[in-house]
Amino acid sequence: MPEEFMVVKDLQKSFKDLKAVNGVSFSILKGEIFGLLGPNGAGKTTTIRMLSTVLESDSGDITIGGHSVRHEAEAVRSIIGVCPQELALYEDLSALDNMVFFGRMAGLDGKEARAQAMTNLELMGLVDRAKGKVAKFSGGMKRRINLAIALMGHPQLLFLDEPTVGIDPQSRNHIYENILGLQKKGMTILYTTHYMEEADRLCNRIAIMDAGEVIALDTTYQLKSQIGSPDKVTLEDVFLKLTGRSLRD
Amino acid sequence: MKRALFITFNEVRLYLQDKADLAFGLLLPVITFALMYGAFGGQTMFKATAPVVNEDKGAYSAQLIEQLDKVEGIKVELLTAGEADTKLERSDLLLVLFIPSDFSETLVSGDKAGLVFKQRGNGGQEGQILASIIRGVVETMNQEFLVRSQVRSNLEGKGIPENSIEVTVKEYLDKERQQAAVVIAEEVTGGSPDFINQYLPGIITMYVLFSLSLSARTIVEERKRGTLERLLTTRLNAHELFIGKFLSSVARGFVQTFILLVLSYAVFRLFTPLSFLASLVISLVFAAAAAALGMIIASIARSEDGATWIGVVFTMFMVMLGGTFFPVSEGSTLATIGKVSLNTYANDAFRTIIAEGGSLGDTLQPLAVLAGVAVVGLVISRLIFRAVPGGK
Repeated sequence: MPEEFMVVKDLQKSFKDLKAVNGVSFSILKGEIFGLLGPNGAGKTTTIRMLSTVLESDSGDITIGGHSVRHEAEAVRSIIGVCPQELALYEDLSALDNMVFFGRMAGLDGKEARAQAMTNLELMGLVDRAKGKVAKFSGGMKRRINLAIALMGHPQLLFLDEPTVGIDPQSRNHIYENILGLQKKGMTILYTTHYMEEADRLCNRIAIMDAGEVIALDTTYQLKSQIGSPDKVTLEDVFLKLTGRSLRD
Repeated sequence: MKRALFITFNEVRLYLQDKADLAFGLLLPVITFALMYGAFGGQTMFKATAPVVNEDKGAYSAQLIEQLDKVEGIKVELLTAGEADTKLERSDLLLVLFIPSDFSETLVSGDKAGLVFKQRGNGGQEGQILASIIRGVVETMNQEFLVRSQVRSNLEGKGIPENSIEVTVKEYLDKERQQAAVVIAEEVTGGSPDFINQYLPGIITMYVLFSLSLSARTIVEERKRGTLERLLTTRLNAHELFIGKFLSSVARGFVQTFILLVLSYAVFRLFTPLSFLASLVISLVFAAAAAALGMIIASIARSEDGATWIGVVFTMFMVMLGGTFFPVSEGSTLATIGKVSLNTYANDAFRTIIAEGGSLGDTLQPLAVLAGVAVVGLVISRLIFRAVPGGK
């Protein structure tokens, strides 16, 4: 039985009167790809922000790799990598400069940062554009750089917040392959998306969120089995059954 | 600390990539300097045109005009009486020298000849200086005339040719000039109180404060780009982020003043090596104080426009109260209010070095205030960043 790498207990977060996250609990096993699925506004990004130490929760506990996010944030930050939903890049700098800079921020020395940057660029199929200014890249290429930066410093846990939003199928497939490749190397991944087929293809287990709460949590097979034959039912059908509305509504 | 320096390095690199910021930060001081150089011409000698109406056609009026034209910085402009009156009427001119038609004739006859300054009011500052210069030239002519008259009267009837008398008079006058009883020497100590060293401190402080607006945007830009949140998930902590941003702001402000000071040193020769170093130290401390205030604005501002406008209003307030554009009288209400302006202390320190030839030791009080503002400002901005939503 794989060990639990991240444990989330009764997480709560409100913004004024809005309860963005309401009693979320789940755990992620070492080496699995865990999906957080839900429509826009379900609370996925707020949850990720709390897990990645950016936002403080109102209550609840989060432990990552044995470290408490509330009390040992620095230790947590040393083992995580975050690929935010919005592109977070210095567009005036080259791809390589961006990666080396974030590598240094992740605690690598100059030589290591450069070597890892080149490895990750190669992984993303962008090594020939290493010195190109990010501003001149296509949307798909920027997404890939966004992901490559999250890999700097060899994190044990990778947060991927809707990493394929608004990109072409080719770049999307490239990212899928990279994510599966990272899992094979033992990386634990928390993946949020509102694309059903993406979650179906990549995730070992899925937590479906709606209105700040986890309304279902299981493997994709088990979730689909709850309402019919897993071969014929989609996750979209599961969501419709659970909430009474379509995921894209 | 290492990561803070990476933040600084990255910020400087982004600054160098941004053509608009670069133009503002580096080219504007050079342009300002070029304008200063054009306005003050790299030297501060008095220059003026002396308007003269010469109604006399004789030798002595011609000699007077020639002597006047020889004075360094003075150019004679001959006018008709009508032109001069019209220009005086319109205040195009404030002072004109009128040489009456009988000027030479009266002198030859041995009587006292008169000159007239026609002027509006007191003739203006330039007119008064011109009048003094003309009086000096007339005085010299008077002496020469007296010597010539006395020599002539002594040699009269002795059959000595006119040429010989003239040579004798010239030799006597040259000898007199060389053996003058009172000799004035120029001794330059420290800076000289000219336009440049009066205005340069204000221009320098203004530029540092302009860079404050750029510093004020530093956090907002990072937040807007999404990189702030990303940075806060790395090993970089908020203290390092703040120190890094602060140092880059200091560097930006300092580079602007450095350009102005180096150009002033090279072209206007305002400094000794020691006073130049002292000015650099003041620039650095002032840039730190301005950067710390910029960080407070950066912590409060929610948008780039907001940051820029708060920065601009703040800068103008400081500049106006700090005596950058106009001198603030000691003991006045404005001087008391101006104590809240950083410029007051920076201008004070710069003027002590540049205009008064003082040393760094003479500027300890304003420097202590600026350094205090830098430290307190940085602490306050950090506390605000922790308190406001989105801060950490």
